[in-house]
Amino acid sequence: MPSHDDTHAPDPEGRGLSRRSLLHGAATAGAAGLAATAMGAGPALAAASPGQGQAHGTPATAEGAQGPIVVHVRDARSGDIEVFHGTSQSRLRDTDLAARIARAVG
Amino acid sequence: MSSHREAPEIAKDPVADSTDVYAFVSPDQPDTVTLIANYIPLQAPAGGPNFYEFGDDVRYEIHVDNDGDGRADISFQFRFTTTVANPNTFLYNTGPIQSLASPNWNRRQSYDVTVQSGFSSRTLGSGLACPPCNIGPLSTPDYPALAAQAVHRLGHGITVFAGQRAEGFYVDLGAIFDLGDLRPFANLHATFGLPGLQAGPGVNATNHLNVHSIAIQLPASQLTRSGHPAIGVWTTASRQRVRLWDADNGQNVDSGPFRQVSRLGNPLVNEVLIPLGQKDRWNSLPPSDDKLFAGYIAHPGLAALLPDLYPGVFPNLAKLVASGQPRADLEAILLTGIPAGLIPGFQNFTGPVQADMLRLNTSVAPTPAAKQSIFGLLGGDAAGFPNGRRVTDDVVAIELRALAGVTYPLIDKTFTPDAAAGKLTDGLTPASVSAPYLGQFPYLGVPYSGFTNPS
Repeated sequence: MPSHDDTHAPDPEGRGLSRRSLLHGAATAGAAGLAATAMGAGPALAAASPGQGQAHGTPATAEGAQGPIVVHVRDARSGDIEVFHGTSQSRLRDTDLAARIARAVG
Repeated sequence: MSSHREAPEIAKDPVADSTDVYAFVSPDQPDTVTLIANYIPLQAPAGGPNFYEFGDDVRYEIHVDNDGDGRADISFQFRFTTTVANPNTFLYNTGPIQSLASPNWNRRQSYDVTVQSGFSSRTLGSGLACPPCNIGPLSTPDYPALAAQAVHRLGHGITVFAGQRAEGFYVDLGAIFDLGDLRPFANLHATFGLPGLQAGPGVNATNHLNVHSIAIQLPASQLTRSGHPAIGVWTTASRQRVRLWDADNGQNVDSGPFRQVSRLGNPLVNEVLIPLGQKDRWNSLPPSDDKLFAGYIAHPGLAALLPDLYPGVFPNLAKLVASGQPRADLEAILLTGIPAGLIPGFQNFTGPVQADMLRLNTSVAPTPAAKQSIFGLLGGDAAGFPNGRRVTDDVVAIELRALAGVTYPLIDKTFTPDAAAGKLTDGLTPASVSAPYLGQFPYLGVPYSGFTNPS
């Protein structure tokens, strides 16, 4: 059955990658850049600290990710974080990472 | 409006705002069904230099449910790509556009069509050209010929078109949204103690405006299950969850999975039946979740308003509303389809699941043009709304009449509709649309040109 809201759906056209390649420079701008920087210094999504972080969904590894990665800290206190990349999203709980991001913007 | 600007959030996002859905057995190809989804409402034809276009960042879909569960069994997905030949001019076109390959056309769109069924996905066409917008006699000197070039035959009996069309939905917005003072009956309106109004002819607020249509025509056999000719149809538009304004590059960055932001099946459901605080939520959900909203169909606020707006005109409707009886007639029409046995020789029931879908019994042959009733089933024409919807059907009058109680005898033969209920109209007909409808695909008229509209 076709999916209406496919959380981890691949981009069937592959167009997202080509568009992202056009936007390559955007990775260092705004929240996306901030998030990418913070993540690069912290635990990888799939390897979030035991007891602290648990990733749900397809992780975007630092080596494999192309294009912007957008991080949405839904609640810094509880470490509730959403990470968007391409047409996928992951959700994790990592209070340390959330705190680092919060400090970076504060 | 059918679904133009019908919810607070989607009203701010016209590129993703569905306005009308049509589904009908093609009158000139009766073994096929035509599905049309319109987007980008109320386009002023002269709206350049950046004329209207589909969103490259929007996933447009037309869905078909053929097993009655309110979920898509077949989805046609349309994704658009915009290209600019010369970014160093402000011009949409640098000379006359006389073919879709014209080098004078500076900013153009193409699209891919895929069909999803079950877990399979198949590309039906790639790089299909849209026509330009209708600009004027120098820029688009033979618009019908340009649009004809944008009708693509994809094999397997499938034909598609995506581009600008004349708005075919006729409605007196100015009257309806002025507290329901339908001009033909304005002299009967309560007017809230203000000076009385005079009756007058309707005014088509969408005349001389354009929309963008996504249309597909294909054999009915590709949409139905054997022995089950009734299908449910709706359209959705989805956006990725994240959008960032990349100021350095002057463009948006989209990321994350797609989420539905617009939905449309039956006309006017989200527009006038779903309350303001629920409209955007309704837009985000599939029809299979419509049980959540069934109460608004069973007890429509507009039906309760009519007796107050027109004192003494709808006494039987007032009693029906006061009784608290659920409007099972409206639930059947809008949420399940009409079961067999209510209208002799007709049904478009898809099952007990309550889901707002435009239901089409594909086994009902198209009515010859000379014998059609714009009031569809209410006019004794089983090939019209709410059995699917043709481009000329007067869905405003049909739904007003149904809300006023005309269809309630279907489930309670002791109920007598008020005499006025069967006459309700905003005073418009297909003749209120200046651009003639077409007798062939894509059926909606040639878009109004910017040069001559307004005149």
